[in-house]
Amino acid sequence: MTILDRSEWYDIARETNWTPTFVTEEELFPEVMTGGLGVTRDKWEKYDEPYKTSYPEYVKIQREKDAGAYSVKAALERNKLFETADPGWISILKSHYGGLALGEYAAMSAEARMTRFGPAPGMRNMATFGMLDENRHTQLQLYFPHEHCSKDRQFDWAVKAYHTNEWAAIATRRMVDDLFLGRDAISIAIMLTFAFETGFTNMQFLGLSSDAAEVGDYTFSSLISSIQTDESRHAQIGGPALEVLIANGKKAEAERMVYQGIAGAWRLFCVLTGPSMDYNTPLAHRKHSFKEFMQEWIIGQFERSLIDLGLDLPWYWDKLVAEFDYMHHAYQLGLWYWRPTIWWNPAAGVTPDERDWLEEKYPGWNDTFGKCWDVIIENVVAGRMDKTYPETLPILCNMSQLPICAIPGNGWNVKDYPLEYQGRTYHFNSEIDRWMFQQSPERYRDHMSLVDRLLAGQIQPPDIGGILKYMNIAPGECGDDAHKYAWADAYRVNPFSKSAA
Amino acid sequence: MSQLPIISNFQGDFLLQLVLGDSEGTINSLAEAAAYHSVGRRVAPQPGKVIRVRRQGETGFYKPDAKVSDTDIKAMDCLEFVFSDPDKK
Repeated sequence: MTILDRSEWYDIARETNWTPTFVTEEELFPEVMTGGLGVTRDKWEKYDEPYKTSYPEYVKIQREKDAGAYSVKAALERNKLFETADPGWISILKSHYGGLALGEYAAMSAEARMTRFGPAPGMRNMATFGMLDENRHTQLQLYFPHEHCSKDRQFDWAVKAYHTNEWAAIATRRMVDDLFLGRDAISIAIMLTFAFETGFTNMQFLGLSSDAAEVGDYTFSSLISSIQTDESRHAQIGGPALEVLIANGKKAEAERMVYQGIAGAWRLFCVLTGPSMDYNTPLAHRKHSFKEFMQEWIIGQFERSLIDLGLDLPWYWDKLVAEFDYMHHAYQLGLWYWRPTIWWNPAAGVTPDERDWLEEKYPGWNDTFGKCWDVIIENVVAGRMDKTYPETLPILCNMSQLPICAIPGNGWNVKDYPLEYQGRTYHFNSEIDRWMFQQSPERYRDHMSLVDRLLAGQIQPPDIGGILKYMNIAPGECGDDAHKYAWADAYRVNPFSKSAA
Repeated sequence: MSQLPIISNFQGDFLLQLVLGDSEGTINSLAEAAAYHSVGRRVAPQPGKVIRVRRQGETGFYKPDAKVSDTDIKAMDCLEFVFSDPDKK
């Protein structure tokens, strides 16, 4: 029997659709789950996915990908990378697995929502594969770190993080709930696949894969490449959905969803990827700065994809681009200073050579962020370690759940962006975060930040010990300096070398 | 003593922090409480300078010896703590 080429049957199979008779169209695709914005079914059937595959083709390719990733892992299990890699790199692995492994699981649920409630047959088809992709990514990113748990229990946070009240986990979970789990199918197509995956996941995974190969972590490099090829396929679900909405007079609604998706995704990538690239990656292995990477991927490519679709750039675009210069430096200071409250050991990344690099990539760094690090370095060198640990909490943004922070030192511009709503004052990190809240205040109004919970008496005793307990951070899991402060030796020898500029 | 949580935005620091002040204390004591969490940690001391307190976005400072509960400061107000010359009003 001759098997037809896929191109000869795919469109017919895809467009073969049910005409419901026992229930109404509205009951089959309720607006709250579908989010079709009133665009009729015949219009949604114009949805044309750019990447077409069949189930047998999908399974064959995925099997090969899995075999590749697992065989590289098996072959390299005895290569002692864990013992020999720079501790900063190990920290990147821990933050990545804890931050993303179960986020992939949430993305699987989101893809499943599109599989069931997507109004377009092609979308449902692609989302079925996307759902299987995300399940694979969850399994991979839980299994790969597991081999390290016996040596370092911080790796256990790959599975543990999302089940705790650790502050970075709350921030990640909040974003996942908002963009993946708590949305209808069309919003997911736009916020998760178009904004989050096209805009940011590509960057995270391409950058990490390249950095992993550079530091000799071929297991992680092959894992991440394997995942990224899936992401680049199912990330294409959102584009055609935007085209249908725009063609049917829903451009403003489509833009609003894109803008919310970008704003939500940016904060998480900023806190996870920014410090990873500019501080935790060993200096000798850094290819690009985080800012250069953002300029290439967000300005160079994602901005073009927005324009190609006929969408206007978000009102906040210039503000977001300006944050490329400073926001992740501020988050890095927060991660390092509040290191007992995170599940990985952040690298300080401020040796004299590293400061020269930061100054070159971010002119003015020494005069701003460097001023805070000057004080920290003096304390470390003088053995005043108590001054390098926090005794209070940062104020957390009521949208991102990350510290409200900005530029310190001689460029000091830290500011609260408050909002009064129904008798409660909310605090935000920027106009963008406040705008996000204002889009659906009823969606966000009842959430309490960690600071709100402390003040409400939910954290007992209300001190650092009580906070760590509330966060489920057990002894042996608290973060500390990745290099055990060895980087400060350069300043002990020559205390005047700290200001590289 | 009556604890009053406020938001400290300390000049030269990189973030906003939760600071517990004493509503029965003075503005100066509130400044000291805020300085404890910033100065010598991430902000270099400025010998000879005093720390003045103002509400975010305003230019006028609270009187250093004013009792906090006699001012308009409420729980979780965002206050700026700024180094200043001692003789500057």
